[in-house]
Amino acid sequence: MKEILTVWKKEIKDTLRDRRTLYTAVIMPIVLMPVIMIGSFKLQESQIKSLEQQTAIVAVANESAAPSLVAFLKSQEKISISEIKSDFENKLNSGEIQAYITTPDDFESLLTAGQPATVRVYQKSTEQKSSNAAQKVQTALAVYNQTLSVQKLSSAGLDPQALQSIVVESKDIATEQEKGGYFLGMLLPMFIVLFSIMGGMYAAIDVSAGEKERKTLEALLITPLSRFRIVTGKFMAVATTAITSVVLSITSMYAAFKIWPPDFGISFVFDLSLSTVVLMLVLGIILSIMFAGFLLAVAIFAKSFKEAQNYITPFYLLAILPVSIFSSIPGFKPPLWMFLIPSVNAVFLFKESLMGQTVWSHIILTVATTIIGAIIAIVAATKIFSKESVLFRD
Amino acid sequence: MPLLEVKNLSKTFTSKKGEIVAVDNVSFSADKGEIFGLLGPNGAGKTTTIRLIATVLKPTGGTVMVDGHDILADSEAVRKNIGVLTTDIGLYDRFTARENLRYFGELYGMSGQKLEERIDELIEVLEMTDFADRKAGKFSTGMKQKVAIARSIIHDPKVIIFDEPTAGLDVLASQTVVRFMQKAKAMGKLVILSTHEMYDAEKLCDRIGIIHRGRLRVIDTVSHLESSTGTDNLEDAFLKIVHGQTGSAVVRQRSLKEKKPRIFSSRGLVIGGKTFAWWRLAILFAAAVILIVQFLVKK
Repeated sequence: MKEILTVWKKEIKDTLRDRRTLYTAVIMPIVLMPVIMIGSFKLQESQIKSLEQQTAIVAVANESAAPSLVAFLKSQEKISISEIKSDFENKLNSGEIQAYITTPDDFESLLTAGQPATVRVYQKSTEQKSSNAAQKVQTALAVYNQTLSVQKLSSAGLDPQALQSIVVESKDIATEQEKGGYFLGMLLPMFIVLFSIMGGMYAAIDVSAGEKERKTLEALLITPLSRFRIVTGKFMAVATTAITSVVLSITSMYAAFKIWPPDFGISFVFDLSLSTVVLMLVLGIILSIMFAGFLLAVAIFAKSFKEAQNYITPFYLLAILPVSIFSSIPGFKPPLWMFLIPSVNAVFLFKESLMGQTVWSHIILTVATTIIGAIIAIVAATKIFSKESVLFRD
Repeated sequence: MPLLEVKNLSKTFTSKKGEIVAVDNVSFSADKGEIFGLLGPNGAGKTTTIRLIATVLKPTGGTVMVDGHDILADSEAVRKNIGVLTTDIGLYDRFTARENLRYFGELYGMSGQKLEERIDELIEVLEMTDFADRKAGKFSTGMKQKVAIARSIIHDPKVIIFDEPTAGLDVLASQTVVRFMQKAKAMGKLVILSTHEMYDAEKLCDRIGIIHRGRLRVIDTVSHLESSTGTDNLEDAFLKIVHGQTGSAVVRQRSLKEKKPRIFSSRGLVIGGKTFAWWRLAILFAAAVILIVQFLVKK
């Protein structure tokens, strides 16, 4: 045990002196995690706000045909009528106007005759501003339609209520915490898995392929230490940096949420409960241990730092792709067997926990598979480390 | 019993394309107070022999006894009793010379005051005082070699094995190494010197074993080697013994490298001689995952 600790101590000291590891395992999680999380929320927040407050610039093709409609639109707070009188499609494409309306030439006479008049609203749906403007115009037109209908009915001596057979009201039973958790669940779980890999990546390469590249490996193997002890010490060092990285990223994010809580102006609560944070920490640590073993097993095959990075890239994609895809699918309800896939199950569990809907069987299944994965990874790394053909690959 | 006893040692590397005999039934013994030379061209099997003695590789035949310990039965005790300077000398770049030595001392079970004293002693003997507390990353070859030598003997082993210790060193640095070997011999150590430098071998070694194509051709003192071959210097004697077959040894070494089959290359996956680039595999994989996910979501 003493020898294992000697190896561990040396690797940690070496890692601390390596700028690359320091950046990826310490600085990045501390800085990046809050910046990305808070930053992306602030960005969404400001976008939502600015879209709501923006005035829609709308052109009317045949303004003189529908003076009453134009007057109504002009009276709307968030709509301004553009001076542009021709070439609407190009102007819409270039963004000079955000939407335009065409009315039939006999608009006013149709109205007085009590006939329906078709009003077309043109928008470019791929432009956020345009579709937003069109929506504002449509809402305004619906109100205008309603007003006209009410006028018609009352002038005919009928109760305007007569047209309303049912009244639709929608209610959301999702709690504020659930809504906030839903948003957090799209980003946060992926980053925890990401940091549990990234945190140990450079350390794993440095202690294995790096040792080969610097040509120190043979001298190390000649010492009385058994291969098992060497690899255990190295594995512990890699796991330590990965765990540090995950713990730092979770705590710094937690702190950031407490200091600068995002405010959407609507009823969202970004409340990271303590039990969620604890679950993230525990699972993050086991994940780090598992990935440390796998990274070490992969990196030891390589002769040099560069080669190790080449080997790790596909492994990294293999681990991160499913995770990022599943975490970005909104409202995906995983079947039970999906909780058997390590790291993907962690994402599902984090999501559940963030929305306050944890299921015990899911927790047990996730923790168990991750621990089994970690054991397989450690055994594989040890086995590979005692293979002559891997250690002395010329 | 002699300090080092090599008995019918063999090592065959197996690959899919066949077997390569790197060390072929080598036997010799050497005792304390001696410098024993292993002389041979590049790729003759010297380094493999040393790696077998050092228990880094496992022999396919025969064994070695180091101070009564068998390399197969008690490899840990063997490693404690030998100090090996490998051909590839590498140091931990971010550690100072002293820190490099301290780490290895600890790995050999040394600690505290005793270890520090040993480090100081070696720094003085090998003339490393000027750079002992500087980071090893910027050391010259000579400086590195000195630290590597100190590292290999930090635990004061009975058997010292030096593999090409003066390769790439200038005259001054090799002088230090040569003097160190002579001093070790005087202290009653067994020094095994593996080299292809005739001059060093001639000057230093009490006995020389000429190794060629994995086989030990002859073991004798320098003067006997010269007289038995009717030459007046070691180089001519050496050439006569190996019959100028150096070329074939190099070819053998090269074929050994080529014969290693690879599945994971740095460019991609090699299946049936074809390479599938990593990035293609990554895209394929991504596409597969997306398809599966879409399928699941639709369900």
